[in-house]
Amino acid sequence: MSLFEIPLGPQHPALKEPIRFIFKLDGEIVVGAEPRLGYVHRGVEKLAETRTFIQDVYLAERICGICSAAHTTCFVQAVEELLGIEPPPRAKYIRLIVFELNRIQSHLLWLGILAYEMGFDTLFMYIWRDRERVLDVLEMITGNRVLYAINQIGGVRHDIDDKIAAYMRKALSYLRERTKYYKGIVERDPTINARAVEVGILKKRDAIALCAVGPTTRGSGVKFDIRADDPYAALDEVPFNVVVYDTEDVMARTLVRIDEILESISMIEYALDHMPSGDIRVRVPRVVPAGEAVSRVEAPRGELVYYVRSAGGEKPERVKVRTPTLANIPALCKMLEGAYVADIPVIVASIDPCLACMDRAIFVDVSKEKVWVWSERELRRYSLRWYRSREGVRRR
Amino acid sequence: MSVLEYLMVLVKTLIYPGVIFVIILSLIYEWVDRKVYARMQNRIGPFYVGPSGFLQPFADFLKLLSKEDIVPPHVDYHVFTLSPIITLYLVLLAMFLIPTGAWNEPYAILAFEGDYILALALTTFITIFSFFAGWSSVNRFGVIGAMRALYQMISYEISMFLCAAAVALDTRTLCLSRMAEVQASGLWYILLHPLGFVVFILSMQAELDKVPFDTPEAKTEIVGGWLTEISGKKLAFFRLASDIKLFFCASLATTLYLAGPWGPLGPNILWFLAKVTFVIILVTTLRAAFARFRIDQVLAVFWKYAIPLSLVQVLIALFIPH
Repeated sequence: MSLFEIPLGPQHPALKEPIRFIFKLDGEIVVGAEPRLGYVHRGVEKLAETRTFIQDVYLAERICGICSAAHTTCFVQAVEELLGIEPPPRAKYIRLIVFELNRIQSHLLWLGILAYEMGFDTLFMYIWRDRERVLDVLEMITGNRVLYAINQIGGVRHDIDDKIAAYMRKALSYLRERTKYYKGIVERDPTINARAVEVGILKKRDAIALCAVGPTTRGSGVKFDIRADDPYAALDEVPFNVVVYDTEDVMARTLVRIDEILESISMIEYALDHMPSGDIRVRVPRVVPAGEAVSRVEAPRGELVYYVRSAGGEKPERVKVRTPTLANIPALCKMLEGAYVADIPVIVASIDPCLACMDRAIFVDVSKEKVWVWSERELRRYSLRWYRSREGVRRR
Repeated sequence: MSVLEYLMVLVKTLIYPGVIFVIILSLIYEWVDRKVYARMQNRIGPFYVGPSGFLQPFADFLKLLSKEDIVPPHVDYHVFTLSPIITLYLVLLAMFLIPTGAWNEPYAILAFEGDYILALALTTFITIFSFFAGWSSVNRFGVIGAMRALYQMISYEISMFLCAAAVALDTRTLCLSRMAEVQASGLWYILLHPLGFVVFILSMQAELDKVPFDTPEAKTEIVGGWLTEISGKKLAFFRLASDIKLFFCASLATTLYLAGPWGPLGPNILWFLAKVTFVIILVTTLRAAFARFRIDQVLAVFWKYAIPLSLVQVLIALFIPH
């Protein structure tokens, strides 16, 4: 059988958001995968330049609905660094708690989707039912289920009182029990094992070379977690383990996420016990002094980077976001090579893609016909020549 | 024959227990399947149309009939349009061979020595026409789904037919109605051939394209598989055909292993329906409890485990006659 090209997306039942892949198939085996991105480009970065820093917090939150706590925490930290202020300790703890609740919610959502991609609808329904408990807790703290609007520059907006804390402890112990139960199912069920073990292999050296982030890289045995490497919020005071599995397959990535849920539950319980009292926010000036700052957090999907530059005004001069899904796309294409058609949805789901967050940058297609290797100097020379030949396009 | 007898034949073929009875009951069984499946997943399931939503499958069928009839360009027109009609015809024909116990009669509408072979042949043809539908649609997903349907067929049909052959060997007859009758006087074959029953239900799961063997129409992988390009009336016909196929396969299992319509007080339709419902709930339970296998894993399950086990069942039936 000759090579057969099959398109996947932009609309496909396995994809929750638009992306397009063209797979070259030899029978049922994938020989090559070409991604095409940019279907949900929203111009968020440009929009951020037209609004004030305070308004941008809400804009950042809307980049992604699933990891909204990660985006605001990251942006707010960058602005706080520019302002040279430190939020009160209690605010840091509340940030951490909401952040980790957000992670639990995101990982449970993902686990349900993975079950759905495998055709295991029963598990999908059960997990999403239990996920509602986390959303209830988040709603109780912040008033919202999805866009929490808890972070603000200089602190947080809502406090956690004893009533909420008691409710939260109850929900968390329920969730711990359920998560352990689901872990047992994932480890023991023969059909899940058949679909996840030794599927979508990402070797450790490939994970490092292709700059994969988050649970994707931790499933390949790389101990890389921003929470441990570059602690933010109250993470330097809350103990936790970085979960690493080294079987390099979909099963490893699944177990990493399940164990992270359990870790997050312990972290939140510890944070509730050791929360300092005091204010939850400080007053900050509206004008941000000139300068630039980079902030990193470990979003549920991996490392999230914000770069913020201010020219000394109410509005930022430039905001740049690098979301974890984008960092994982090259690794995803590597995983797909040599896979079966039937494994495509499971492998694509295994990096937990969040495409709407990703589509901001402009991508340049490199012709696949020619293969060449450039050293750094050649690349630099090429770029200088490129800019010189185009008068109008000049780097500022 | 008198006019009354002619009329009776007409009633039997068209109304009860013929075409209309089968169609209505199949749609009700679709509701049973959906409702049980939903309850197992902690959902409510259909509940809007009719009491407890039991008219939902009828509403779905009528809705699909009223949709625009689309024939995409480049398809093989005749095969594409005829395959749903022929599939529906074949499953209905297969249902005539099943002894239902209607009118307290022990025999099916169409009962003759060898109808067992016809029934098994019809199940093969039904799968082949789903292949035709996928192949003629010239859609990439359709073609892959059609190929998968055939790959899968060459595995599950063998184990299914071998299990059925073991029953035929034991009962010394090739008539489905006789097979049920033989069991009425002795033990049911679910007790005599427990291994055969398990493998038969497993193969049935694949025959019906249900999880864990729903690879030909795996929606998260290849959109709708061989059904991708099928819409409107054609989809309505295929869905009805698959409902009747579920009913047919469950009644085949009932006939072969659960003594068909026979109960303590002679043949009766109520016995038959109770047993069929039991088999359908069994199928639904299995469907809710597993994830989907990959096509190579499906073949491995059948060639490595199911077919050897069914051969063992045949040997047992050969050497230990009851």
